[in-house]
Amino acid sequence: MLKRLLAATTLAYGLGLSVASAETISMWVRTGIGDSFKEVVKAYNAKGEDKVELTEVPFSELVQKYATAIAGGQAPDALSLDLIYTPAFAAAGQLENLTDWAKSLPYFNSLSPSHVKLGTYEDKVYGLPLSVETSIFAWNKELYRKAGLDPEKAPKTWEEITANAEKIRALGDDTYGFYFSGGGCGGCMIFTFTPLVWGAGADILSADSKKATLDTPEMRKAVDIYRNLVAKDTVPAGSASDNGVNFLTFTNGRIGQQSIGAFAIGTLVTQHPEIDFGVTLIPGVDGKPSSFAGGDNFVVTKGTPKLETVKKFLEYIYSMDGQKMMAKYGSLPTRGDIAGEVLAGLDPRLKVGIEAIAVAKTPYTLQFNDLINSSNGPWATFINAAIFGDDVDGAFSNAQSEMQSIIDAGQ
Amino acid sequence: MTMSGIAFPSPRRRKRKQSGWRGLLYIAPAMALVTMFFVLPVLFTVWMSLHKWPLLGTPAWIGLGNYVRMVSDARFMTALGFTAHYTIIVTIAIFAVAFPLAIFVEKQRPLISVYRTIIFLPVVVGLASASLLWVWLANVDSGLFTPLMQRLGLTNGRINLLATFDAAFLTIIAMVVWKIAGFTMIILVTGLQAIPTELTEAARIDGAGRWQRFRYLTLPLMRRTMALALILSVTGSILAFDQFYIMTSGGPQNRMISVVYYIFNQSFVSFNLGYGAALSIALLAILVAISVVQLWLLKVGEDRP
Repeated sequence: MLKRLLAATTLAYGLGLSVASAETISMWVRTGIGDSFKEVVKAYNAKGEDKVELTEVPFSELVQKYATAIAGGQAPDALSLDLIYTPAFAAAGQLENLTDWAKSLPYFNSLSPSHVKLGTYEDKVYGLPLSVETSIFAWNKELYRKAGLDPEKAPKTWEEITANAEKIRALGDDTYGFYFSGGGCGGCMIFTFTPLVWGAGADILSADSKKATLDTPEMRKAVDIYRNLVAKDTVPAGSASDNGVNFLTFTNGRIGQQSIGAFAIGTLVTQHPEIDFGVTLIPGVDGKPSSFAGGDNFVVTKGTPKLETVKKFLEYIYSMDGQKMMAKYGSLPTRGDIAGEVLAGLDPRLKVGIEAIAVAKTPYTLQFNDLINSSNGPWATFINAAIFGDDVDGAFSNAQSEMQSIIDAGQ
Repeated sequence: MTMSGIAFPSPRRRKRKQSGWRGLLYIAPAMALVTMFFVLPVLFTVWMSLHKWPLLGTPAWIGLGNYVRMVSDARFMTALGFTAHYTIIVTIAIFAVAFPLAIFVEKQRPLISVYRTIIFLPVVVGLASASLLWVWLANVDSGLFTPLMQRLGLTNGRINLLATFDAAFLTIIAMVVWKIAGFTMIILVTGLQAIPTELTEAARIDGAGRWQRFRYLTLPLMRRTMALALILSVTGSILAFDQFYIMTSGGPQNRMISVVYYIFNQSFVSFNLGYGAALSIALLAILVAISVVQLWLLKVGEDRP
């Protein structure tokens, strides 16, 4: 009797569970942040319980697509949102308040602090860290060897990088010494180029984001370094019109050096094992290194009926399995308490990505899209005009005044 | 008007009134469609343009604020200037290519349907697809033009066609002419074929030369067709967006922002939907004005045959 009752209960429980867990949540992720999140979703779906349906959205269009989807009532349940945009969406009242649940997580205090800070708006938590990435400098050891350079010696200054680039360029037609996406990809360049001035103590915005401070001696020096690299023909001509589509040109094996993201370490290790590369911190104009701490926050669209399922998925991401899977594909651990354990046995080059966090910066402005990321914004325009154009002074003064006018209009 | 006229309408008059109602009935479906899909959206756009209308959050009434802002918006003026520049150049280029082509394919000659098909083929490709195709063709490393020019020794090293304004502008003009000229050609061919052969023959008998026949016979009789082709071409060029968005993302240093591109940026990048709506209304007014001027200049609708 007891056995039968037990069996019946188990059956009912099983049925109930399978009904409750047959849910599918829809999520969006931006392109260009590597495969770590995609792989976690794959592993989660393979467990056979809830399903996550992932949609990839071009990184340059994610914000407007999400905002339009909200306005049209077609928004996904949750979203991997560039952490920089979390305050703007939280301020607009479009995100689910996760405060109580987040604070009940035993590891809440060891979650990546800059992510939680940007995910918090008026003391309520709207976004939690999903992926952490820093910008770093990578060099191709194979090409270093061919050019007669020491493949194990990381360059420490831009003079060194420029000299190395010239030697690598001398190898032949399709081999280049350096690469960057200079054709209106504001996001790529804030990520890889501003560390040059940050390292030297300058910034493009004032601390309270109310003043544009683009025209500094440090920025002039940084621009000169890149102009020189272009003038010496060490950069492929395609760079001038690359709007970010070819950001990972380094993976083709014919680029000697490039500033990339820590995500790309995962991509290189798992998808391009043939490329032998080293990574180090990006030197500033005076040699002091810096980095951009970026990545994504996990946010939930306000009013989604599948909140519990979404929470379960996020708990899986924060589990040891989830964190290991993310790290394997290049996302640095978001949980500080188990970071060492997560990285054990993984590619040692990921440690450089962790080191970068200590010297990294993250700009905080509600107008990030207008100022920096928009391909027609002042920053993207400035990069192209200052590095490839003929009128450097004009590029500086135009960008400086346009940035200021956008900031003023937003007050 | 006499008393009898009002009190006892003549049967003929009643009939006319009746047929008026019937005519209205016939056009009612079309009217309903136009109202639903054109008039109402335009009215809603006007309503939006009078608000500060963010994509997220609540709209606030600001009256004519958006229109006032427009007048002193330097970037809008630049976009207008660029669009005018583009429209003039691309329209001239399309006609310069389409007119000879029309004269070429109008006459019966061997394989003429093959020629017509080949010339018309790009028209059926979508503008976005065509732009993507040309992005590849113009790619500096893996494309066609640059490596080809280098092989032929025309250029010293590889030139990135999309990196400088002049080269990128030229590439886009070439793409649009390749894509659109076939369509304009078809319109012009119908006009050419509508000219009675007797007239040409009579002119020839009177001793008119080839140029004289073209100038004093063909051109005047083509006026209405030309007006149609011109208006379609000008309107299409003023509304250009896809090619700039896809091929150059606004061009080297933002020098290829057309008006529609600017409206798109204002509405969906900066989320100023209200200002975007005001700009759209301004553009609509400009387009109507230009079309009216064109019809007037080409004297369409004055003389009925």
